Amino acid sequence: MEQVLFRHNKPGRPVTFAEYCAEGGFAALHKALKELSPDDVQRAVIDSGLRGRGGAGFPTGKKWSFVPRDLPGPRYLICNCDEMEPGTYKDRALLEANPYSLVEGMVLAGYAIGVSHAFIFIRRGYELPAANLRHAIAEAKEAGLLGRNILGSGFSMEIDIHLSAGRYICGEETALMNALEGVRANPRAKPPFPAVKGLWGRPTVVNNVETLANVPYIVANGATRFKGLATTPEGSGMKLFCPSGHVRNTVCMELPLGMTLGEIIDGPCGGMLPGKKFKACIPGGASTPYFTADHFNVPMDFDAVAKAGSRLGTGGIVVFDEQTCMVGATLNLTQFFARESCGWCTPCREGLPYVREILTRIEAGGGEPEDIEILREHVHYLNYTFCALAPGAMGPVEGLLQLFEDEIREHITKRRCPFR
Amino acid sequence: MPKLIIDNIEVEVPAGTNVLEAAKKVGVWIPHFCYHPALGSVGACRLCAMKFLEGPVKGVQMSCMVPAQDGMVVSTTDGEAARMRSLVIEWLMLNHPHDCPVCDEGGECLLQDYTVAGGHGIRRYRGKKRTFRNQDLGPYVEHEMNRCIECYRCVRFYQDFAGGTDLGVMANANRVYFGRFTDGALESPFSGNILDICPTGVYTDKTARFRARYWDYEMAPSVCPWCSLGCNTVPAARYRELLKTIARRNDAVNGWFICDRGRFTNAPVNDPARPHTPLLDGREASWDEALDVLVTRIGELNELYGEGSLAVVGSPRLSLEGCLLLPRLAELLATDTLCYFSSLEEGDRSAAAVSLLNGTNTASMADVGEADCIAIFECDLREEGPMMLLAVRQAWRKGAPVFLVGKNAPLEQARAISIEAIELSILEEAPLGIFERPVVICGTRHNSPAAIAELTHAGAKLAFLLPGPNAFGAALLSREQDCTSLTEAVAAGKVKGILAFEADIPTELLEGMALLAVADWRPTEAAKQAHIVLPTAAWTEMDGTFVNNEGRAQRFRKAMAPGLPLRGLPARYHASADKPVPLYPPRVHRREPPGGSLLPAWRLMAAIMERLGAERVEHPFTDAWESLRELDPDGEGVRVFELPQR
Repeated sequence: MEQVLFRHNKPGRPVTFAEYCAEGGFAALHKALKELSPDDVQRAVIDSGLRGRGGAGFPTGKKWSFVPRDLPGPRYLICNCDEMEPGTYKDRALLEANPYSLVEGMVLAGYAIGVSHAFIFIRRGYELPAANLRHAIAEAKEAGLLGRNILGSGFSMEIDIHLSAGRYICGEETALMNALEGVRANPRAKPPFPAVKGLWGRPTVVNNVETLANVPYIVANGATRFKGLATTPEGSGMKLFCPSGHVRNTVCMELPLGMTLGEIIDGPCGGMLPGKKFKACIPGGASTPYFTADHFNVPMDFDAVAKAGSRLGTGGIVVFDEQTCMVGATLNLTQFFARESCGWCTPCREGLPYVREILTRIEAGGGEPEDIEILREHVHYLNYTFCALAPGAMGPVEGLLQLFEDEIREHITKRRCPFR
Repeated sequence: MPKLIIDNIEVEVPAGTNVLEAAKKVGVWIPHFCYHPALGSVGACRLCAMKFLEGPVKGVQMSCMVPAQDGMVVSTTDGEAARMRSLVIEWLMLNHPHDCPVCDEGGECLLQDYTVAGGHGIRRYRGKKRTFRNQDLGPYVEHEMNRCIECYRCVRFYQDFAGGTDLGVMANANRVYFGRFTDGALESPFSGNILDICPTGVYTDKTARFRARYWDYEMAPSVCPWCSLGCNTVPAARYRELLKTIARRNDAVNGWFICDRGRFTNAPVNDPARPHTPLLDGREASWDEALDVLVTRIGELNELYGEGSLAVVGSPRLSLEGCLLLPRLAELLATDTLCYFSSLEEGDRSAAAVSLLNGTNTASMADVGEADCIAIFECDLREEGPMMLLAVRQAWRKGAPVFLVGKNAPLEQARAISIEAIELSILEEAPLGIFERPVVICGTRHNSPAAIAELTHAGAKLAFLLPGPNAFGAALLSREQDCTSLTEAVAAGKVKGILAFEADIPTELLEGMALLAVADWRPTEAAKQAHIVLPTAAWTEMDGTFVNNEGRAQRFRKAMAPGLPLRGLPARYHASADKPVPLYPPRVHRREPPGGSLLPAWRLMAAIMERLGAERVEHPFTDAWESLRELDPDGEGVRVFELPQR
């Protein structure tokens, strides 16, 4: 299987600058700056069908095209490396193995959008990725691949790294920009969208690490080839999946978009752990509704997963075996989201602890039948929050109510958790 | 002008108006906490949900965040929207205490109103309430964080609007905490406004806590007397004690807010040292006797020293009514020494300022807030008019550069509102000419009349800070009557007696006066030395008019009955002839409250005039001033330049 992001990976250590270059790294940058106009690069990304890998799956080229072309003054590119979605570790895996494709992808993106100053916003605790990136940036600068007048093209760009103070909400792009500006990381109202008014009020594009790291391949090999990597006609490219839980292989793996859930679990993931039976999984990080074995034939691609009632999200697949209490699992996730609410809007700030309280009580055997109705009400009304945190947090709760209502009722009638 | 339909009512609003305001316009009040007209929409509380049925946005939306657009059809009564609103209340009540009866905000609490309105009466949540440690925020503001519903109004006002730096948001999720980094008095000169804008009881007025419920207050629209800006207020009193002062909206003057000086300077009204009965040589007397003696002694003075030896003195804190009657009284007393200002400098500078201003070159505080360049000329606004500083900050936030001109314009005033300001030594260095709406703000404490007169060439609108709430009116009349200052009159040697109304007379001018009669509500130095003291009503105890620094006449209403406050009432008022022992609470019934026979200064003047044989004064506003009789205390006021025949 062809690898896009992991093709330079070396066992047990990060790839070196020399190795990356020797294996065709930075060829895309040479090609773009010598042969292609910024519009060509943008066109290639649009044609490639690349969709944002941070969770929302918004078409990347389209996002770039929203930046006003002829507005004077600075514009910014931000790489979102605030990977805090529980169950997700792809950006870390990528940057620990190879920081160069991100640097190259950012310069290409900067060239396409006309950015001279880009930022990488890294999650607190990601020390090794940050160190790798610092190193890579210095090497790229040394080699004239970053900084002033890159490869003699007249295009200049700087990349700065910001190590976040750490909060889940910082991954929300507008909260991220606030954090970068040095104010409280509360999300901003949209519109205006960041592409029009973002960092310091300037047009800004925020892309995920994995998204940007895919750009060199697209520029070097063409949109068609990238699109063809997926196994479904509507999909395009590869995706990093992060399996965890009760499966054998819990390492980050790069797979074509469109493989079915069953193929992924039984194939690359190596099936369930010995003696375990599949019960459910989170398909795309903590904020996505559950899948069960009934969903094994769902192709793991953005639209197909959405059609099946969940979201591809970040590709963080958390697998639960038959012995897992889904109320307990949902409570665990809800605790995270309730803790990570920024505290700006009422439904999220107060509603999530409400849900947490109910789930805690049900799990502890103190649940009442009317609690289910309250949970259902929260699943609906937490859509009307300021940002996407609370609707995401309700993903697992929604899945719980849809797929495991019997299990909740069993908790309530037995007045204890049946799995203990 | 977008047209939309809200609850089947068609409404047309100016472009940019949000749907919440559009609904308000047709009488549909949708509950909201975080939205405040002065602070804007932020979409935090999620309470103003409406259902958008037709138009560019659909579904349940927060009406404060959606600008009204053509073709919108909106329902506030839709079941889903109403359920959302009631859920928001339920969420807020998860942690809010249920102790309204012992909360100082009870009765004037938005959360209390909306909880009742939203029908949330049964608690479904079984968890514990989260609790916080409260902070000591200084002598004025009490902090009770458990009551917080996280509308963020306080920090949005404190930091964004007023430029304060010591009150902020800390922590996240449902541990969000609004307070200071450590305990300590709030530093912003506008800190008291968080009492008004907090929708619950997190911040309550420490100076008046648990003294009264909202419905207990005697209140009326009033005007602040503590500088010349004329900010609109509502004094709130109970049992003849002024308990607190609340900001009152006037978009042309103070907007929604007032400064801490205006809000918390309530003690002088309740001052036990305040004269409440006429005093003759230190002895209490009846009004009849006092006025008789006054007239007799003025006669004696004239006999002894000749006519015109009496000076009749007004002041910049005397209401316009008093200022207008003063010349008529002086005429009856046959004195040619009529003064509106005691100090020569105050009089000359105020006259210089007032003579420069006209209907087109005068900047209101609203104009300052919209200015695109501001020069603060030789003054410290923290002293001379704090609210002007808040207007300066609003202009600065919109991009206006601010210049501090001269050695008497300290940089600390800019720091108080966290703005960057450029210090200049002379006004000519400020590039006012390149701006469209420049304003020069000029004080009258440090500038010579000549320097003030020079400003006519500044090429900018002018805003002066004057030495009192009616200094403009006093200066205007002083100029019309061709008056001198008391300092000059005394220096000329002719003055042997003074009849002063609410005047702050420097003590050196009092020396050697054969007659000193002082009518005032404040225990001034002159009142302490006076032979005859005639107590007057404070501004909260009377109807009156002040003309503010920009020539705006504003009516204030009697908010409370005058008299000695019940709290601290001297024991003799508790007793009666048959019950000599002080009683508590006082149960002695009188025709009027102790010390309650106070008249506004102008009515006192009228009484003296009648005693001198004049006709009864129906109203001080005659001739050019007559139209001010109808002045609406709830309006924006009337600029004197706009009066007919002026």
